[in-house]
Amino acid sequence: MALITVRFYSLWRSYLGIDSATLEADQVDDALTQLETRFGPPLRQKLEAAGIHLDGKIQDYSLILLNGTTLRNLKSTDLKEGDVLHIFPPSIGG
Amino acid sequence: MESNIADKDIRRYIAESAESHVGPDGLTCPVIRLKTTSSISSTRKVPAKDVEIMALQQGIVPLRYLRNIGTIGLDGQVKLLQSTVAVVGAGGLGSTVVELLARQGVGHLVIIDGDRFTEQNLNRQIMSTEKNLGKYKVSVAAKRVKEINSATTVTVFRERLTVANAQSLLDDARVVVDGLDNLSSRLLVEQACRQLDIPYVYASIGGFNGQLMTVFPGDVGLSSLYGSCSDTLAEQGIETRIGNPPATVALIAALQVQEVVKIITGVGTPTRNRVLLVDVRECAIDRIELGR
Repeated sequence: MALITVRFYSLWRSYLGIDSATLEADQVDDALTQLETRFGPPLRQKLEAAGIHLDGKIQDYSLILLNGTTLRNLKSTDLKEGDVLHIFPPSIGG
Repeated sequence: MESNIADKDIRRYIAESAESHVGPDGLTCPVIRLKTTSSISSTRKVPAKDVEIMALQQGIVPLRYLRNIGTIGLDGQVKLLQSTVAVVGAGGLGSTVVELLARQGVGHLVIIDGDRFTEQNLNRQIMSTEKNLGKYKVSVAAKRVKEINSATTVTVFRERLTVANAQSLLDDARVVVDGLDNLSSRLLVEQACRQLDIPYVYASIGGFNGQLMTVFPGDVGLSSLYGSCSDTLAEQGIETRIGNPPATVALIAALQVQEVVKIITGVGTPTRNRVLLVDVRECAIDRIELGR
């Protein structure tokens, strides 16, 4: 198992009240499952309290980068020791 | 030859018209006033921008730029006056960008937007007022630039940027600035900038949060955030729920303008191959290095 760091930014950091957390996982999918289990419900609870309802799991409404690259572009889903997942909400307005 | 003589004559006239300005630190600096610049421009039939450039090249500072020079230098101001910057979208981010670029003394602005001001723009779009609701954003922006800086020339395109027109509208720009509000248009602009070999300053906001990065051709760019396949991407983000408040828009637009200034003058380091995440709710700025 690889020990990886998850870093939260922007509104997710404010709502979860933490900057980062560590996970043990060998695959991105496993890390996302743990992420949703630990942080999905409290995040959605905060969002609902603010009048924001978002469907799906945390990865469905977040931008998630692994070592600076979106998961959408990943060729390999293997994780290694020291990897960092960056997670924050998509803000596309202007 | 005649042109050289005329230029020499104008330069001499500028030098003779210069005044000595004493700064708060007691140091003196030769300056030229707006009234004098305008007079030379109109009597000698030379664009005001050229008069300002000729003054700066002799070490004479147009008084209006005096407070710029300490940060970017005389050469930096000349480079800005000689540059064209395209702003795609003249709404929230775009209108503040236009306002600040005119004050900074960019020589030529290309402003592209097909929309008119509506009531829901009033909270953040700095050029929208109760009186100009219904007016085209680019027309209002052009008028505003003229009021701020008569040396800045403006070209407006009252249309949306599309795949068909992107390259022709952006072709002359030294830098392109993102004043957009949806992802597909941003990807289109980024693609056009890559093809034209022009730096692109991306930004977007939602609630108390903003994102910014400068993309040079060859940099990783938006695909590192949103992925390479645009078909599966959402057009909009969380701003549809948490809004676009004015202070976030103004702050992020100001950062975009600073990126433009850095790119053109060479002073400072543009935010390349990393995304800046600004969180005004917690007064936090984070930078994430982007991979390929």
